[in-house]
Amino acid sequence: MSSLIGFLSLVFAIGINFYLILSRYIFKFQKQKFNFFIRFSSLLTLLSFFSLMYAYVVSDFSNYNVFQNSHSNKPLIYKISGTWGNHEGSMLLWLCILSVFSFFFSFTKNIDRNFQRLTLIIQSFLHILFGLFIVFTSNPFLVNSILVNEGLGLNPILQDPGLAVHPPILYAGYVGYSIVFSIAIAGLFQNTDGEWLYVAKKWSLISWTFLTGGIALGSYWAYYELGWGGWWFWDPVENISLMPWIAGLALVHSLMMVRGEQAIKKWIVFLSILCFSLSVFGTFLVRSGILTSVHSFAADASRGIFILLIFFIITGFGFLVFLLKEPKKSIALNLLFINKVSALVINNILMIIATLTILLGTIYPIIIEVLYNKRISVGGPYFNATVIPIMIPGFLLMSIAPILSWQTNKIQNSKKYVLGFIVLSILVLIQSYFLDFNTWGFVGLLLGFWIILASIIAIFSSYKVKFSIKFIQIINPHIAHIGVGIAIVGITCSSVFQNELDFNLIEGDKFKVNGKTVLFEKIETTNQINFQALRGKFLFDIEKNKLKEIEVGKNYYPVSKMITSEAGILHQWNKDIYFILGDQKNNEWFVKVLINPFVSFIWFGVIIMMYSGFIAVSRR
Amino acid sequence: MKLSRFFKVLYIIILGFVFFTFKIHSAENINERVKKLTLELRCMTCQNQSIYDSDAEFSNDIKKIVKQKLQEGESEGDIKKFLVERYGEYILFRPLMNYNNIFLWSFPFILLIIGLFFVLIKTKGKKI
Repeated sequence: MSSLIGFLSLVFAIGINFYLILSRYIFKFQKQKFNFFIRFSSLLTLLSFFSLMYAYVVSDFSNYNVFQNSHSNKPLIYKISGTWGNHEGSMLLWLCILSVFSFFFSFTKNIDRNFQRLTLIIQSFLHILFGLFIVFTSNPFLVNSILVNEGLGLNPILQDPGLAVHPPILYAGYVGYSIVFSIAIAGLFQNTDGEWLYVAKKWSLISWTFLTGGIALGSYWAYYELGWGGWWFWDPVENISLMPWIAGLALVHSLMMVRGEQAIKKWIVFLSILCFSLSVFGTFLVRSGILTSVHSFAADASRGIFILLIFFIITGFGFLVFLLKEPKKSIALNLLFINKVSALVINNILMIIATLTILLGTIYPIIIEVLYNKRISVGGPYFNATVIPIMIPGFLLMSIAPILSWQTNKIQNSKKYVLGFIVLSILVLIQSYFLDFNTWGFVGLLLGFWIILASIIAIFSSYKVKFSIKFIQIINPHIAHIGVGIAIVGITCSSVFQNELDFNLIEGDKFKVNGKTVLFEKIETTNQINFQALRGKFLFDIEKNKLKEIEVGKNYYPVSKMITSEAGILHQWNKDIYFILGDQKNNEWFVKVLINPFVSFIWFGVIIMMYSGFIAVSRR
Repeated sequence: MKLSRFFKVLYIIILGFVFFTFKIHSAENINERVKKLTLELRCMTCQNQSIYDSDAEFSNDIKKIVKQKLQEGESEGDIKKFLVERYGEYILFRPLMNYNNIFLWSFPFILLIIGLFFVLIKTKGKKI
């Protein structure tokens, strides 16, 4: 029953959007009525989504999608998250978020009525494309042809709280760019001046902030669930999420800087189209099954072709409008080497090169396979060797970019900065002599700390410090950059200075980690709701009587016959001690201990960046 | 102080340090060399995991082979060549710099040079 309601409301919502597009040319609506229909279609799409969720919650196995991806003995939270833990449901979530964005956009005040309406028409167009995609190739409301009492279960690796919230937040980022796309296209059509840029800025900041959160959650999940000790693997799917993120970062920066220069406006439109195109392209690559990963739930060529078609329609349409309707009058930019405008241009160039490099590296194996029928890999070493060096000048620039001047290429208080930089490099040099000397570690630490230090100098020497909301908003760019600096320090330390210790142990053994004694207490197996758990228990630092227990092990999910690893992590502010339980051999358990210094800085840095994103949204 | 000069100073300091540290960094012990090499190899039986990170049987075998060959004095290039002959180029996370991959490797840096020229031309001759 709920499936029927869901399907009907889905179809009805698509119908309304068709009607809205036609209405623009055939009927004449009042604005009120137009917005009413937009909101009504959004609510119908939401209803459709929630009826699917209801089917999951009550384990309605007459729905084929529920039967394929759920099981009645899962905990409630994974029944809910199972809604988007599969291809069909996640596409419905995508559409749902798209219409939620339209819903909120229809409430935007202070913008031209016609402009708002045109933006929403473009949103309707997108809604129809993705709606038809769902109905024809990925319908989550199909009826199960056989009568069953039990489902096949959700992929155990997805049964995790981090991953339950990761897709909605990530999608809010991806799909948020649809609004930016629509705004930019509408801006091109109507050739309105200026006003739309403020609207675009707000929405692109919102999308970017969600995207940041989504990527960070995914990567945190990879950190503790995959049990490999790392948090970023340059996996194709990670790369795909990174591309719109970097392009979106370029967009946000351009929008911050726009001061009526036509050239920048043109660029902003280009970036807006690019961001959404990359989001759709990412969806195509992931869903088509061309890339194998946890994310490609089911490989089905027809879906891939359909999404590829949608991608070409959207991108082609977007860039066609861009070429035909580009803003004509162009005023030359006030570029000096280096003032604020040229810093922005350099930053954008670097970010676009990084985006294109990631794109090339991600699809290159596919190209080679098609051309030469040979399989190659393009992995972490390639991206580390290309993307990171390209970004280094950008990192240097961002340390003082917010206080650069528009008119001149001079910097105030330059002595403070140079002195700060020299002192800092000596400190880092001394530090690195005490630890292992590593080139990348040195560069990373220096850059990270330099960004933090320069931002702090800038805050204290350029503004009068006082505690008010306005002050918080003024220093917000610096705060965001401090966040980046902290994250760079965390990334550098955890990847370069990671330490690995291997042990073969029997129960009751004691061993040393970082000078602290650890007791391997026992191994036990327990039965949980829907899995069997094997856990090794370790007591950390037994001498000091501050007993810290670490549990590490594996889960066996009988429904899907899969084993997942559960890393045991002891979080400390300056390092994570990361336990991995291996196999048993001759009564001895293989235990791997990784010491990851300053991992928490990465998440802390990301949280600061997201905070800055929200503050920037609140600022007009 | 002019900003361009400011950044030149920063850049020269960093490049100097990098050059300096590369010289020191050349001596490594065997385990670090194994780590460095196996981080660049794909575990063929896992999903997008490097041999170093993986504990699969396949990876442990390759780790042993790599260590043994390094001890016998073979160079990294020889070992990679051996592995490519056995498992195909798919095993290398760092694609070879050969004819097929020339575009892959040169593309980012060509873009970087074009971008650099663009900025230099646009800002040339404008002084305050």
